[in-house]
Amino acid sequence: MAAADSPSAALRRRDLCSRGIRLAGKMRVDVIDLLDAYVERQGLDVSSLDSSVAAVEGVPLAAVERWDEQTGTQRLLENLAAYRAFRALLAQMLEEQREQLGEADAGLGRALASVLLQVSAFAYHLEELLRLESRGVPGEEEEEEGEEEEDRPPPPPRLSIFEQKLRGLGVLRELAQWAVRSARDLRQLSKPSPATGTASGLAESP
Amino acid sequence: DSPIQYERVGADVTMKCGSMDWDAAVTWTVNGTDIHESLLNGSYLILKNANLSQSGQYACYEGSSWHLKYQTYLRVGMPPKEPVLMCRSNNYPKGFYCSWHLPTPTYIPNTFNISVIHGTKDMVCERDAIPKNRCHIRYLQLFSTVKYKVTLTVTNALGRNSTTLTFDEFAIVKPDPPESVVAKPVPNNPRRLEVSWQNPSSWPDPESFPLKFFLRYRPLILDQWQHVELSDGTSHTITDAYAGKEYIIQVAAKDNDIGTWSDWSVAVHATPWTEEPKHLTTEAQIT
Repeated sequence: MAAADSPSAALRRRDLCSRGIRLAGKMRVDVIDLLDAYVERQGLDVSSLDSSVAAVEGVPLAAVERWDEQTGTQRLLENLAAYRAFRALLAQMLEEQREQLGEADAGLGRALASVLLQVSAFAYHLEELLRLESRGVPGEEEEEEGEEEEDRPPPPPRLSIFEQKLRGLGVLRELAQWAVRSARDLRQLSKPSPATGTASGLAESP
Repeated sequence: DSPIQYERVGADVTMKCGSMDWDAAVTWTVNGTDIHESLLNGSYLILKNANLSQSGQYACYEGSSWHLKYQTYLRVGMPPKEPVLMCRSNNYPKGFYCSWHLPTPTYIPNTFNISVIHGTKDMVCERDAIPKNRCHIRYLQLFSTVKYKVTLTVTNALGRNSTTLTFDEFAIVKPDPPESVVAKPVPNNPRRLEVSWQNPSSWPDPESFPLKFFLRYRPLILDQWQHVELSDGTSHTITDAYAGKEYIIQVAAKDNDIGTWSDWSVAVHATPWTEEPKHLTTEAQIT
């Protein structure tokens, strides 16, 4: 862990964390604006949908128990897995939106694309932080836990348009929560550890 | 101990003297004082359109023997109106508290029951000893999009009522106001005031959950406030104060990302530094 503890690594970590926190803040503001536009353009009545939107399949939930007890590595890995999933989900939403609304709503498409870009940038940021800790960055294939071709579940049936809209709502809501959680996670990461003088949580062994 | 009888304000109350016949000769008392026979119908005591002042200890005695035949403590009151419920997290991310009160008194004892549901999970809201109309709950999860549903039921002998609040984790976050606000003049600077304050002590982790602040100030002689929003730090220098005028200054706090602004802090007063008129100083030196 010598590399992780060097003064230059500590500075780089602090720099990545503070930039990440700003990125997360901007992302949250943009996601909330996008959420409002999405609800309006897709004609969704949010008050009647609250229970249906909960725990949409495939959407990483920001909700976490014992958040304060997580190690730095856990935080980075969970964040990375989430933002990689959001990257795929937002790309899918963009595709669906183009099919449904075509050129009629280029504004919504642009807003979705902008958030997708920020999500990709944030995922890259997290990979940099993991590399800094000499932690291997999990490849995206590894996250499917080495399933064999034959064992993979069949692709899910194509959703109806209403189901697509509902999932889109779930994606954006959870992403807005993640953006808040990520800022908090990065602040935890950038706290100096009292014993070692390095960022707390990251000097711990896996 | 005599049993307690609860009746509504405005109700017509009939009290029977135990097992005594209607035509038995009896004497009724309230709080030890005889009740006039005009209020009796036979041996029954009739209280029409009961009012609060008629609450008390009622007793009925057999006419000649003065044996106590019946006793009751009458409490006149009202069924509860819909209670007022408020939930707030001033110690995020530890948990939140809910507090309640009745909009109008019932004049009789009430019991309050509170239930908190998060999704499908029942949570226990621990009652505070003081104040007793409050309970607190620890967050088991953070960053959840699932709403919390809090239902408060108030019950008394004459009826019950309830109210429900539904909210999400972020919406109820409202810190306590900043503490120890201090405002001082800056020597040799007639237009400056240095203001400093501290995070509210109830906010458990300002490092991971930093607060931002809103400062407002005005000279006492004007009604219009100046506002400054500060995203970090717990001090600020006002640089546009009117020379020689006394100022009133307050600060409010909010989590950087979520929730609402706190109430304003206690107001502090300060006047910018002014130069001592030279001739007065000279006179003081001579004497």
